[in-house]
Amino acid sequence: MSLLTALARLLIFPGILFAVPAAWFFLWVERKSVAMMQGRVGPPFMQPFYDFIKLLGKETPQRAGVAGGLMRAWPLIAVSTAAGAVGLLPVLPSSGGFQGDLILLLALLEVPSICIIAAGFSSRSIFGEIGSAREAVLSVSYNVVFLLAIISVAASQHTFRLEALAQLPSTPLRWVGILAILICLPAKLHLNPFSLPNAEQEIYSGPMVEFAGPELAMWELSHGLEWVAATGLVATLIAPQTAFWGLSALVFIALSFGIVLLLSALAAATARLAIDTTVRFYWQCTIIFAVLAVSSALFMRIRS
Amino acid sequence: MRILTMLWKNFWGGSRTLLFPARPKVTQRFRGLVQFDPELCSGCAICKFRCTSRAITYQAGKGEFTWGYDPGQCTFCGRCVEGCTEHALKEGHTEHALSQESACPPIYLQEGELKKVYTVKRKAPAPKPATPVAPKVTAAIPESSTGGAQ
Repeated sequence: MSLLTALARLLIFPGILFAVPAAWFFLWVERKSVAMMQGRVGPPFMQPFYDFIKLLGKETPQRAGVAGGLMRAWPLIAVSTAAGAVGLLPVLPSSGGFQGDLILLLALLEVPSICIIAAGFSSRSIFGEIGSAREAVLSVSYNVVFLLAIISVAASQHTFRLEALAQLPSTPLRWVGILAILICLPAKLHLNPFSLPNAEQEIYSGPMVEFAGPELAMWELSHGLEWVAATGLVATLIAPQTAFWGLSALVFIALSFGIVLLLSALAAATARLAIDTTVRFYWQCTIIFAVLAVSSALFMRIRS
Repeated sequence: MRILTMLWKNFWGGSRTLLFPARPKVTQRFRGLVQFDPELCSGCAICKFRCTSRAITYQAGKGEFTWGYDPGQCTFCGRCVEGCTEHALKEGHTEHALSQESACPPIYLQEGELKKVYTVKRKAPAPKPATPVAPKVTAAIPESSTGGAQ
């Protein structure tokens, strides 16, 4: 992939120019669908965009004893890495990519979570610290399953290249891996029942409690970009890529939309779990999927 | 699984809320804003006493009194109207642009924005009815029995 292509993918499609409106759209779909399931009207279509603009126009109050530079840096790092992750998604066929871009995508997807943990601790707020500690525990819990599932998918298909993965036909093992990834997505996107790091009622949104104005706008944007990247990754693994790029893009968008609706339904149907229950769920119940997937993948690899 | 059925029904069953500028229709049982008639009020302040949400204020002065009502603070319980012996308070149909069929309590952005204060002159006390002079009752003093039958 040449530098020009990489820049085009990062800045135009499926990077920032596409990903930012897509992030607002996904945030709106999530809010609207949850509202409709709860019998409410929900926000108008442009609401995430209005929220972003409104927050950009606000001033950030002075916070005594807090490193302002750090507080400004964390959301920016989160936004840029999430946008980079979206830029790596092979939405269109023959869109480039390189060997190992799946590993880079996973690393980039993990950075916003690390930024949230660091931001909570740098805010010197007790609620922020509790939220960060919860996020750290949650991250350790679901990431084992998430990474094992993706490794199993990649190992079974003999490649760590996203485009190759998207073009290869699905196998039953791949579906087990996709299921494990789907189970991890609510925790990754801080949705119910795993929304305890940013619990609004208990700890005032946790790590975000000290953020206001443009910094909060950046956090919201990074959250939306995480939505696009995470659902896009699952859509890439599910969708059979065809030679006709229009159809590929359409299938990709439809699948991402479907995953957002599925996650929203789960969020609306469930209540927030406590931290110990969440950790037990991932370490005791879900890890079986991942271990099964990895062991089968390794077995298949040895046999072939 | 029942929650999923509930979500499905909610999803297709329409919403129970409205977007911001739209306002719900009020029911027939909605009591409406309290309306004050200064002509009838005698300034007894029983309404202020009965108002649990402190929406009604009352200040007595020399020869006049001020009566205030803040709809933003009112809970529309109707206790003031019930307690008004002079029928100076009514629950609303016309004033404050409130009609029972279509409008709900007005939107306000600042505390006390809707408050209305009336300064009312005290009425001269009605002349006391002429009371008939009660006839003097002379109690019959029984004669002392001292020195009676001897």
